[in-house]
Amino acid sequence: MSESEKSAILEALKSVNDPDLGRDIVSLGFVKEVKVCGAAAAVTIELTTPACPVKDQLKEEARQAILGLPGIDEVNVRMTAQVRSSVTEGRPLIPQVKNIIPVGSGKGGVGKSTVSANVAIALAQTGAKVGLMDADIYGPSIPTLMGISEQPVVGSDNQIIPVTKHGVKVVSMGFFLPQDKAVIWRGPMLDKMMAQFLGGVQWGELDYLIIDLPPGTGDIQLSLCQKAPLTGAAIVSTPQDVALNVAQKAIAMFDQLNTPVLGLVENMSFYVCSHCGERDDIFGTGGARRVSEERALPFLGAIPLSSRIRQLSDEGKPVILVDLDSEEAKSFVQVAENLAAQISVQNMSSEVSQEIKVSF
Amino acid sequence: MSDRIKPIPSEIGRANENDIRVLWNDGHESVYRPRYLRLKCPCAGCVDEWTGYKVLNSEAVLKDIVPLSIGLVGRYGVRVQWSDGHSDGIYTFNFLRELCPCQACGG
Repeated sequence: MSESEKSAILEALKSVNDPDLGRDIVSLGFVKEVKVCGAAAAVTIELTTPACPVKDQLKEEARQAILGLPGIDEVNVRMTAQVRSSVTEGRPLIPQVKNIIPVGSGKGGVGKSTVSANVAIALAQTGAKVGLMDADIYGPSIPTLMGISEQPVVGSDNQIIPVTKHGVKVVSMGFFLPQDKAVIWRGPMLDKMMAQFLGGVQWGELDYLIIDLPPGTGDIQLSLCQKAPLTGAAIVSTPQDVALNVAQKAIAMFDQLNTPVLGLVENMSFYVCSHCGERDDIFGTGGARRVSEERALPFLGAIPLSSRIRQLSDEGKPVILVDLDSEEAKSFVQVAENLAAQISVQNMSSEVSQEIKVSF
Repeated sequence: MSDRIKPIPSEIGRANENDIRVLWNDGHESVYRPRYLRLKCPCAGCVDEWTGYKVLNSEAVLKDIVPLSIGLVGRYGVRVQWSDGHSDGIYTFNFLRELCPCQACGG
């Protein structure tokens, strides 16, 4: 292979743009390997997430770009992914975790846990290494949602070994609490628990650690934002609480703590009647999209209100595992892909602007 | 997100033996005398949480107080470990910038 053939291919690939990062894949450094053998070319493209929503599109565009070159009539494009890390500063509490993403809401009952669980599984299914921390100590529902009945064990170094289910490493307060007992703690205890769940768990190497927060803007949220350099938060809301200005409180909190908001998810967005198929916007619809436009935040997707999601969640069989082709599952996959894309955008931009050097 | 573009530090270190130097990502440079910063401690023990009145007795703060270490708090502030054992205050980046004593900032 001559250098000129290689540079011709790189030149051709400059026409392929990543729509989320807004630059071409060559200058982003995604093109890892270029080989030419006679009339056949092979390239490897390394994306910043295996959950890239435009993976297939990029692959096809790259193929067409190279096929447009004279003398090439066969192209093999291999897609891989290397998730970028948002951890750049200081002494991170969990250095092997590349991205920490809290999922929050202004109020309870909007479906944070359901969204967290399904998004975590969706990310894991793309091949990413994913952890799910249930920080909702008041009503830990992740074990139920994920169908986990086993108990985590404690390793030799006194660290908790998370339970792996559906490809996701899970830790929840629900594991340690009898069902009829409640957590009635003041701030310092909550603070300790967050430290334990972050630093005292053998998370191992993770691309994404999703944290299911308790509702509101309290101790746990504050502790988390202080203890760990978070990549950014996802906010779940229903059309209703956006209307009541509650979801905006969660955005304001993360703003104040200088934690980027990666986007909004609208849950219970609409209802499709299982008998007649007619759509009903029970709580109104599109509110979260409107707020994300107002605040210039990404809108990550809308999840329908569906008795199927509720039923399967109660049975511990996330809809995304049971029926991947259903509308419900597709909406979760879309949210997961958009979230992964926003994490990449965040990390690519923070590589230049967010690093803080402390030498003291 | 225009209201979110606030300067954040790019470097935090020592200006000399005792003074603290912060270089901001907008190019501004702040140098803080240790005692000045210690007196501005925003923690609940030094400032009344409800009224905002200063509780800290300035005269009780050592004249030669020095910072022993500085650490980041999340992505929004720093915590200073002072030589008098105090380390409760979290100086948010915004607060720290407001405290900049340089002439251009009105100090």
